[in-house]
Amino acid sequence: MKTDRQALGIQRQLRRSARRKRLLRISGHSIVYALMIFLAIVFMLPIFWMASTSLKLPQEIFAWPPEWVPSSPQWGNYAEAFGKYPLARYMLNSAILVIANIAGGLLSVPIIAYGFARFDFPFKSALFLLMLSTMMVPGHIKLIPLFWLYQKLGLIDTYAPLILPSYFGNPFFIFLMTQFIRTIPRDLDDAARIDGAGNWGILYRIIIPLSRPALTVVVVFTFVWVWNDFLEPIIFLRDWDSYPISVGLAFFQGRYSVEWHLFMGATLVSIVPILLLYFFAQKHLIGGLASIGVKG
Amino acid sequence: MTALSFRKSLALVCALALLLAGIGGVAAQEPVTITWWTLASAESPEPAIRAVIEAFEAEHPDIKIDVTIMAESAYGDLMNTALGAGEGAPDIAYFWETPWLPHTLDITDHLEADPDLSRDDYFAEYFTNWATWNGRVVGLPFTVGANFVMYNKDVFDEAGVDYPTADWTPEEYIEIATALTDPAKRRWGGDRPRGPFRAVWRNIGATKPYSDDSSTVEGYFNGPESVAAYTWLWDLVASGATPTPADIEVLGTEGTGPVDLFIAGRLGMATLNNGHMITAANAGVNFGIVPEPHVPGNERFVHAWALRASIWAGTEHPDEAYEFLSFWAGPEGQRINMEIGALMPSLPAVLADYPDADSDYFQGFMGVLDATQTAEWRADHPCWRGAVIRAVSDAWDLIMLGEIERDEVQATLDSMVEPAQAALDECVPRLGG
Amino acid sequence: MPSFWRNMTAQERRSARTGYLALAPWAFGFLVFYAFPIVATFYFSLTQWTLVDPPVWVGLDNYTRMFTRDPLFLSSLKATLLFVALSLPLKLVLGLMLALLLNLKIAGMNFFRTVFFIPAVISGVAVSLMWIWFLQPDTGVVNTLLSYVGVQGPYWFWDRDWALPSVAIMSIWKVGGAAIIYLAGLQNIPAHLYEAAEIDGAGKWRRFWRITLPLLTPTLFFQLIIELIDAFKIFTEAFVITKGGPLKATYFFLYYFYEEAFRNFNMGYASALALFLLAVIMGCTVFVYRTSDRWVYYEN
Repeated sequence: MKTDRQALGIQRQLRRSARRKRLLRISGHSIVYALMIFLAIVFMLPIFWMASTSLKLPQEIFAWPPEWVPSSPQWGNYAEAFGKYPLARYMLNSAILVIANIAGGLLSVPIIAYGFARFDFPFKSALFLLMLSTMMVPGHIKLIPLFWLYQKLGLIDTYAPLILPSYFGNPFFIFLMTQFIRTIPRDLDDAARIDGAGNWGILYRIIIPLSRPALTVVVVFTFVWVWNDFLEPIIFLRDWDSYPISVGLAFFQGRYSVEWHLFMGATLVSIVPILLLYFFAQKHLIGGLASIGVKG
Repeated sequence: MTALSFRKSLALVCALALLLAGIGGVAAQEPVTITWWTLASAESPEPAIRAVIEAFEAEHPDIKIDVTIMAESAYGDLMNTALGAGEGAPDIAYFWETPWLPHTLDITDHLEADPDLSRDDYFAEYFTNWATWNGRVVGLPFTVGANFVMYNKDVFDEAGVDYPTADWTPEEYIEIATALTDPAKRRWGGDRPRGPFRAVWRNIGATKPYSDDSSTVEGYFNGPESVAAYTWLWDLVASGATPTPADIEVLGTEGTGPVDLFIAGRLGMATLNNGHMITAANAGVNFGIVPEPHVPGNERFVHAWALRASIWAGTEHPDEAYEFLSFWAGPEGQRINMEIGALMPSLPAVLADYPDADSDYFQGFMGVLDATQTAEWRADHPCWRGAVIRAVSDAWDLIMLGEIERDEVQATLDSMVEPAQAALDECVPRLGG
Repeated sequence: MPSFWRNMTAQERRSARTGYLALAPWAFGFLVFYAFPIVATFYFSLTQWTLVDPPVWVGLDNYTRMFTRDPLFLSSLKATLLFVALSLPLKLVLGLMLALLLNLKIAGMNFFRTVFFIPAVISGVAVSLMWIWFLQPDTGVVNTLLSYVGVQGPYWFWDRDWALPSVAIMSIWKVGGAAIIYLAGLQNIPAHLYEAAEIDGAGKWRRFWRITLPLLTPTLFFQLIIELIDAFKIFTEAFVITKGGPLKATYFFLYYFYEEAFRNFNMGYASALALFLLAVIMGCTVFVYRTSDRWVYYEN
């Protein structure tokens, strides 16, 4: 009896301390939530502002005082924007470019980064810096020589100039992936080697599966960059039906006036695929070494 | 997703990509294909461009037009790239930058031999200023553009102020603008010049920023007429009757002019062009048009321009290219653009049929075209637009920000003479005067 | 056979061969898409070239002009360095803080992560416009909020002292993109290290300094170099919003380059400017790279 009562007391005490802990955690969480919600509002303002503009009449956009929520939302603006230019077609074109570029990145980047991260060879540092240097020159400087080259190769008005470079490794991703592979313990390589795996087997069986967060970054960033790239498509493409969405959006900015209401609506629709992709790609950002509990 | 299926999906993505890479080949070439780069705009929208091609190809079954319609914002970069690379430029395009002119085909003989088109069909000054260069015909002027003051009649009526007339002065502009201003409604009377371009000197100062032979800044940029013009600008800024750069830019109209502010009724007068005029007319604004104010006794100038439609000197089919150019930038093509888009044709006979020809604003616009035009302060002086403006822009900024006193205008302009002269000396040998 | 190759063991040679093989695709792309244009640029930098007429050889003229009689070269370099000094540390620190926040395991995190990613997704014109709208001195959201707490907000983009910080604030707002990369880096920190530290009674703060930060240094190193390059290449904001003003406060180096090349038809001089910028960024990168042995921890 006595011990029972003692046990009960201990239990009660334990329960009380667990409750206190939970309370602490909840109050900690609510501070975090408050912070997150505040930040989220700040980061969401542009979306809200664009949405509001996209639902106004042209003369309402610059009326004073400004209306945050239009009194008579013009949902027809969206139909007008998509009727004016073949934006759906352009989004499809962008999707094709994105997929082709993502494939190029996923094929080339792990191999090149594996070379930098796992093997020693003469001039490695110099080559690495040389690779980094390709990110340092302004893109405009390369336009004229590359235009000349693609013209010679007959690749103007094809998607090749917009796709090919990704198959030879984007330096940003090579660098990212190299840093990532360097944090993967070499013990894992050695274990695989004992199991009979060669260099490429290690890349395929150990490095790539463990680099899922970095590869997700490659996918997401490629998507964003290709989707938004405006200068290169306009320089290298000629056919009205082949333009990506970035060029389609630019048509709303005329010489003497901008159709803000249509532009904002079309921009909003155009970013939905990226946000959807990111929303669902996130689970691959989480994982890697932390999830498999490797003993390093 | 397990590691295995992750790898599987990776392989799937790659396979899909190889499939897609096969799509997107090059179109087969016709025997005579003329390539044409152009822009879609409110004046000349995509359907109008298609209609021009359709009408032309129906008339000329032996010529095919391969058109690239592009966005305005990258057109200059693209032309520079193609001309810089030395190949891949189109047979026909707008050659609006002066440094591009050496690459245009001389079409003097083509035009003289043309039984259906002559230079007399065009507005004379537009043709001289925009289609001829160094004594040769380098293109055809497409559309007519001009700057003028648009005034919102409703704003004037509400404030009980008389409409401006064509002979008004810069001082009157400030007076009227002040009378129209209503801070409670965040409404300003009139806009201010958006950059140190021609109007400040030509209409208000009746001078130029440097000598006619493009050799000397001293005595021009800081001469008494220029100082008077900048002092007027200082007065305009100090009057508070005009939106600040921050007010203008918040409307996203810095590059395109404050037409949105004008349409919203928050700007009584605005110095804009015919592109804006059409926008305002479509939005149902009740407005009129007068030329920019000028100092009595001086000749009145209007800043006016056309789009120079030219043939690339490297074309392989000059005759066919001319056939299309004279169709597109001639009466037929400009009429199609006027009817489907909102183009103001550069041929008086065609412009007379403008849908809104009876309106007040259109009559005002025609009155503006009577004044002497100042093409040279925009297109023919690449040194001014680039290097020199950059060197003197600090003076402009100081006045715009209200950072100098009225009696410091002279000293400020004096201090800009040296960098302006250096910029001129660097640029003129390179690009010409 | 070069001497360094002869001095290597067979195993070292094998490793080197595999390394070179792995780098082969990059090397090919490098030669075509990068080395070729950069050699062309070097040639242009020794010429006077109006872009549309053939280049005229001028030797080192462009470089002597750049280093001896071009005040704009110095002022644009100064503006760029100021921007780098201001935005780089802020972006690094705030990016990491955001990533740590987004790494918490609480409900609805997928949503928050997506929201913070938005600024990195919307491009160019729409964002610039929104910032002009937000920072407008009289009517903008920011100054309106400041006025509620009795603070008179500055003139932001339209003030010679505030224009550059305004551009920096804009670039910091896009930090959600950097946070994703930190987030990926955080995933490669083995969980058992935290468990061991917790058993040892190490607090959150201590665990951050002793485990998270050191093991995140490869990612930090990446971010440092990438953000460094990015900050030096600041262009779009000046191009769209400030046009380099007021009073050249935001006349950044790349903006100068662009104006010279495509507005001023001075491609020869612009090429020299571009190569100089390349040299400056390269110098900074090599410096950071050299110090990295001392503070970046890799496995083994």
